[in-house]
Amino acid sequence: MEKKGPKTRSEVEDKLLEKVGEAIATVKKAKHVDQVICALHSLAVLLFPLDASLLSGAIDEQCREQIISSEAPSAAERREWWQAFYGGAAFSTFARFLLIDLASNWLACFPLSARKHVYDVFFVHGLATEVVQTLVPCLQKSGGDDLDVKAIHSNTERLLILCLLENNGVLQVAREFGGSCQSEDYINENLKPAVSRVAQIVASIPDKAQLRAPTSLSSHLFFKQVTVQLLSLAEGRNTNLLDGAFLKSDMNGTLLFVGETFSRICRRGSVDVLLSEIIPQILGHVRSLLSSNIEPLVSDVFESNPESQFWLNVIQAMSDSYAVERMSEQLLHQLASERVSDVEAYWILWLLFHRVSQYQISVRSMFSDKFLLWKVFPVCCLRWILQFAILERPPYGNSLAKGHNTRNFLDTLQHLVAVWSKKEFVQSAPVEQQTYVSAAVGLSLEKMSKEELDETKDVMHSILKGVSCRLESPNHLVRKMASSVALVFSKVIDPKNPLYLDDSCTGDTLDWEFGLSTPEKVTSGTSNCIQQGIDNPEASTTSVLEKDLTRKASDGISSNGKSKNRKSYEPKLVDPDEIIDPVTLNYESGSDDNENDDASESSDVSSESSLQPYDLSDDDTDLKRKFSQLVDVVAALRKSDDADGVENALNVAEKLVRASPDELKHVASDLVRTLVQVRCSDLAVEGEEDSAEDKRQRALVALLVTCPLESLETLNKLLYSPSIDVSQRIMILDVMTEAAQELAHTKIIKPKQAKALISTTSETQAWFLPSDIGPAGAGPWKEISESKSLLNWTNRYERELPSKPGQIKRGKTRQRSLKSADWQEAQIEWSHNKFPVYAAAFMLPAMQGFDKKRQGVDLLDRDFLVLGKLIYMLGVCMKCAAMHPEASVLAAPFLDMLRSREICHHKEAYVRKAALFAASCVLLSLHPSYVATSLVEGNVEISSGLEWVRTWALHVAESDSDRECYTMAMACVQLHAEMALQASRALESAESTSMAKKNIGLPSSLSKGTIIIPHSNVMKY
Amino acid sequence: MSSQQRRPPDPVAVLRGHRASVMDLSFHPYQPLLFTGSSDGELRIWDTIQHRTVSSAGVHNAAHGIASVACTAKRVISQGRDGTVKCWDIEDGGLSRVPSVTIKTNSYHFCKLSLVKRPQSCSTRMDGVRFRDGDERGVKGTTDEENTQDEGSKYVAVAGEQTSEVEIWDLNTAERFARLPQSCTGGSSGMCMAIQAFSPSESQGFLNVLVGYEDGSMLWWDIRNPGVPITTVKFHSEPVLSLCVDGSCNGGISGAADEKVVLYSLDPSMGTCMIKKEIVLERPGISSTSIRPDGKIFATAGWDHRVRVYNYRKGNALAILKYHHATCNAVSYSADCKLMASGSEDTTVALWELYPPQT
Repeated sequence: MEKKGPKTRSEVEDKLLEKVGEAIATVKKAKHVDQVICALHSLAVLLFPLDASLLSGAIDEQCREQIISSEAPSAAERREWWQAFYGGAAFSTFARFLLIDLASNWLACFPLSARKHVYDVFFVHGLATEVVQTLVPCLQKSGGDDLDVKAIHSNTERLLILCLLENNGVLQVAREFGGSCQSEDYINENLKPAVSRVAQIVASIPDKAQLRAPTSLSSHLFFKQVTVQLLSLAEGRNTNLLDGAFLKSDMNGTLLFVGETFSRICRRGSVDVLLSEIIPQILGHVRSLLSSNIEPLVSDVFESNPESQFWLNVIQAMSDSYAVERMSEQLLHQLASERVSDVEAYWILWLLFHRVSQYQISVRSMFSDKFLLWKVFPVCCLRWILQFAILERPPYGNSLAKGHNTRNFLDTLQHLVAVWSKKEFVQSAPVEQQTYVSAAVGLSLEKMSKEELDETKDVMHSILKGVSCRLESPNHLVRKMASSVALVFSKVIDPKNPLYLDDSCTGDTLDWEFGLSTPEKVTSGTSNCIQQGIDNPEASTTSVLEKDLTRKASDGISSNGKSKNRKSYEPKLVDPDEIIDPVTLNYESGSDDNENDDASESSDVSSESSLQPYDLSDDDTDLKRKFSQLVDVVAALRKSDDADGVENALNVAEKLVRASPDELKHVASDLVRTLVQVRCSDLAVEGEEDSAEDKRQRALVALLVTCPLESLETLNKLLYSPSIDVSQRIMILDVMTEAAQELAHTKIIKPKQAKALISTTSETQAWFLPSDIGPAGAGPWKEISESKSLLNWTNRYERELPSKPGQIKRGKTRQRSLKSADWQEAQIEWSHNKFPVYAAAFMLPAMQGFDKKRQGVDLLDRDFLVLGKLIYMLGVCMKCAAMHPEASVLAAPFLDMLRSREICHHKEAYVRKAALFAASCVLLSLHPSYVATSLVEGNVEISSGLEWVRTWALHVAESDSDRECYTMAMACVQLHAEMALQASRALESAESTSMAKKNIGLPSSLSKGTIIIPHSNVMKY
Repeated sequence: MSSQQRRPPDPVAVLRGHRASVMDLSFHPYQPLLFTGSSDGELRIWDTIQHRTVSSAGVHNAAHGIASVACTAKRVISQGRDGTVKCWDIEDGGLSRVPSVTIKTNSYHFCKLSLVKRPQSCSTRMDGVRFRDGDERGVKGTTDEENTQDEGSKYVAVAGEQTSEVEIWDLNTAERFARLPQSCTGGSSGMCMAIQAFSPSESQGFLNVLVGYEDGSMLWWDIRNPGVPITTVKFHSEPVLSLCVDGSCNGGISGAADEKVVLYSLDPSMGTCMIKKEIVLERPGISSTSIRPDGKIFATAGWDHRVRVYNYRKGNALAILKYHHATCNAVSYSADCKLMASGSEDTTVALWELYPPQT
C-alpha cells in the first residue's frame, strides 16, 4: 500500500491534469453555455458523486445525452481521483480557471442547478484548506483586459460564504489539520507554518472583501461565524478529534489552527466578538459542572471532564502573547459585566489559564504583574485575579489550606506594596490606577494573617509609608485609599482593634472601588467631587465639603445621642408627676417627728392645688454673652479658656464687622490676628467644629471686605509667619480668595462702605428722605409737591434713575464723546468691582518669598498644599481684577512666578493644576487691547510670558500623567487661542486707526517692523 | 396638665436704683420695707408697696461694698467687705446717720453673715422664753423675740478673721463671743463659705450653727461644745454657697457651686443631718437660697440668671423665673410669705408674687 500509493497517485495525477487541460480547452472553444457545462461535468463526475438528472432540466438535448451517458467511476476510484485532484497541482490550476475565466465569461449564463452541481461542487466538496487558499487571493484579483473583475469578486465572495460559512468550512479546515496530524507522523515544522498561513488567510477575509460584499463577510459577522464553528469543537461529540493529541500533551493541528485563528481574530481587533461567543459556552460548561457536583469542586473534576479538554488547551495553542493578553483582558471585563459569581469566574480562569500559566512564565507574569499593577479592572476582576494567580485556590474560604503558594502570595504582595508606597506613584499615577492598586493591596491584605505579616520584612514599613504619604494628599479619594488600607492593615495586626482614620469608613465591608465605578450606589458626593475637581483645582475644598456632609450626618447621630442623654435626666427636673414616695420620705426624715410630718402632709394635700408648677421649659439663649463692641470680641477671643465666650464672640463677629463701625480700622489688625489664632477645634463641642470654623472664616472675609488694607497687612504678615500651622495658612488663603471674590462682585449692600467709595454726598442727606440704596448714579431725592390737596399726609419723593448698564454703553457714547471725563466717571460708578483697587495689596505680599524656606514654612516641598492654594488664590485675584488696568500690571510678575521651575514642573499634580488654573485666569483677565499694545510696544515680560503659557500648557497636555491636568491644560490652550484672536483683532483695529491718524504718532515700530504674535505664528506687516 | 403650659410669671415690680450689683436683700419683719445692699457700698431701703426707694445711704466703703444685709425689727445689720459689720437703727424715713454699733471683724471675704433663726413655734409672740447661759460659754438664745424686739437678735455669726473659722459676735457690745472651731486646728475643709445660725427648740435655745465649707462639706456646731461639731456631712462636691434652715429648724436646704440643691433634715436631738432629696440642676451655681417662712416652697438664686422655685416638701420644681440678665446674688421671702425678692448683678431687684399663702 505504501509503495503502491504514490505510484498510482502520480499516474492518476497525470491523467487528471490531462482531463483538466481538456476541460479547459473545451470551455475556451465553447460557443454555448451548455458546452461549458458539459465540460465541467465531465471532470466533476470523476470526483464527486453527481446525480446527472438534477442537471438535465436546465440544458439542451444534446448535452443532456452527453451528460447522462458519461459514466461515473466507482466510489473507490472516485476517492482516488479526489485525493489526487486536491493533493496535487490540478485543483489550483483548474480553480484559477474556474474562478477567473469562467466566472467572468460564462458563469452568469449558468442555470442555477448547473452552477450548483458542476461549478460550486469543486469548492464545496473540496479539500477545505486548499479551497480557502485558492479562493481568498481571488478576492483581490485586479482586472485584466477582458476580465469582468466585478463578477470575479462577487463570485468569489459568494463561494467563500458558501464554503466557509454555510458549509462549516472553517471547522473542516480545522479537522483537516487534525486529520493530517493523526494519519501520518506529520512533521511539526511543516504543520505549524501551514496552520498559521491558513489561519492568517481565513482571518484576512473580512479585510479583503470588497466594500459591497455581503454583510456576512463583514468582520463582525464573519468572525462570529468562525468562532462558533471552532467552538463546536469543544462540545462533546467533537472531543474525540482532540483526544490523541492531548495524551502527548502536544498540540495537534486542529487546536493549533483554533489557537492561531483566535489569535488572528484578537489581533484584528475583534476580541469582543470572539469572547461574546466563548463566554456563554465556557460559562455553561462551568455551571453544569458546578451544579452537578454538590461538594466544592476540585481541579480533578475539571481535568477529567472530556469537554474541558478543549478549554484546557486552547490558550496554550495561542502562540501570540499579545493576543492572549488582549483576550484575557477582554475576558475579565466581560465576565465582570456579566456579573459572574466569584466561583464561576475562578474556574473559568482556571480552565483557560491554569495549564498555560504552568508552562509559560509570560502568562504568569501577565496576571501577577501586568494585571495587578498596570491595568485597571473592576474590583471583582481584581478579586478573581488575586484568587487565581496569587492565591491559586478556589474562593471557598477555608476549605483549602494555603499550603505551598503562600510564598508566591507574599512575594506578590511585597511587590505590590512596594509600588503602592512610592511617593512618585502617588504623585504621578492616574487616579484610576491608584485606586486599583490600592484595592489590590487592600484585598490581598484582607487575605493575610498576622503570621504571614511577620514573615515579610518590608510590608509593614511600606504600608505605613504609603499610608502616611497618602494622608497628606489634597485629594479626598487618595486619603480615603490610605484610610481604607490602614483599616485593613490594622485588622491584620489586631482584628479586634480596627483603626478608623476616617469617619466615613465605618462599615465592615470596604468599598474598594471608592465609589468610582458603581453607578448604582449613591456616590453623588464623590462623583461631584471628581467632576468639580476637573473644573477647578479646588478639589480639596469640595472634598472638605463632602466631609462636612458626612460629618454632619454623624453629628446628627451623636447629637441624637446627646439629646437622649439629656432627656434621661431632664425628667427629674421637669416631670411634675414625679412623686416622692412619702413612705421613704418619712423613713428618711427620722422617726420622732412622724406625727409632725403626717400633719403637715395632710395640710399639704389641701394646699397642693396652689403649688401647680409653671411651664418649666428653659433654654439658654439669654445666657450667651452679647457683644456689641469689636473690642469685646477681640478680648473674648483671646480668652481661650472661656470656650463659650469665644463661641459667642465668633457668632457675632461677622455681623459686627459688617456693620463697619468707626473703630473697625483700628481694631482690624488685632481682630484678624486673634481670629486666625483662635483654635476652633479646641473650643467647640465635638462635631460642631465646622460651624465655628465657618463663622471664623466668614468673619475674616467680612473683615477683608470691609477693611481690606489693614486686614491684608496683618494677614500677609501671618501667612509666612512661623507661629501658625498649615491649616491656618490654608485658611488664610481661602479667606483671601473668598474676600477677593466678594469684593469683585459687590452687590452686597454695605451702605457706608459703598458710599465712601463711590460718592460722599449721601451723608449730607436729610434723614426723612428715603434711603438712597439703589443703582449707582441715581440722582438725589426730590419732593413732589402736591398742591391739589391741602391735607398732605404723604410725602412723595422721586429721583432720576440711570438707565440699565447695557443701555448706557450703547448708543449714547457718540453723543457724549465730547465730555468723555464725565462718561468715564459714570463708568467707574457703574462698575461694582471694587477689587482692582486692592489687587496689589492682595497679591504682591503673598507672592513675595513663597519660595523661601523658613522655620515652619516650606511651601515648595512639604507644604505643597499651601502653595497650591496660594497659586489658586492669586489666580482668583487675577480673575477678579480682569479687564482692569491693575490686572495688566500684575500679570507680568505673576506669570514670572508661575514660570519658575519649582511651580510649573512641581511634582504634585495639585500644584500643577493650580498653576494651570492661574495661567488660565491670567489669559482671561488681560484686556485684548493691552495685549496688543504690549506686543506693539515690545513689552517683553507680557509677550514672552504669554508665549510661555502656551508652550507650557501644550507641554502639559502632551505629557502630564494626571488627567485633570491634561484637561485643564487643554482648556488653557483654548483660552490662549481665544485671547490671541481678540488681541489680533485689537491690533488690526489699532492699525487701521493708525492709518487714519498717522499724524498722532503711534509707535513707529508698528509701521516699520514686523510683529510676531507669539501665539498665532502669524506674521503681521 | 394644663397648668404645665402656664408661662412663669413676670416680676410684679422691678426696683431699679442701685448702680452696682445687688449683693443681698432682706425684708423687714413686719413693715413693707426691703433693705438691699450693693457692691458699691450703698444700702437702699425700698417701700415694697409703692416700689420706691425710701432712702439710700452709702454705708460701707464703695471700693469694698456690702456683702450682706440682715434686718430685724429695729435694726439693720450690714456686713461690708471692708472688715466691718455695722448696725443701723431704723428711724423714720431712713437709717441713723451713724451706725449704732460697728464691729471690726477684720474678715474680708464674701461669706454672708447670719442672724439667729428661731423655730417659728417659739417665735410667734411667745415672749420671755429665756435661756440663761450656765457658764461663760453657754449662749443665751435670745432674751427677746426676734420679730418683736430688737434685742432678740443679739448675736450674729460671721466668717472669722481666720477664714476657716466662724465667729459669733454680740451685736450690742460688739464683742466677739465665740469662735468655731475653738482651737485653731487649721481648716482642712477650707474656707467657710456659708453660715446659718439657728436655735432649735430641742437645744433649749442654745445656738446652733450650720456652716458650709469650701470643699463642699457642712459642719453642724452646737455652741455649747465648740470643740467638736455635732455632725459633719458632705453633700456637695464644690463649695457650699448658701444654707437655709426652715422655720421649724427641722430641715434645710443647701446650694453650692456644683449642680445640686440638697434638701436635708436636721434632727437636733439625735444630732443627725440626713439628705432628703437631691435636685440636679442644668447649670451649676446657686448663690442664695431661701425657704418661705411657711415652709411650703423655697427659692434659689442661680448663677445662670434664673430664680427657681421648688416645692419644699416634695422637692419638685415649680417655676423657673427668667428676668435677670446677670447672676442672681440673693433671694429672700417676706415674713408674711406674700413677696419674694431677688437681687442680681444686673443692679435690679425684682419682686415676685408666686403661690400666695392660703390663709
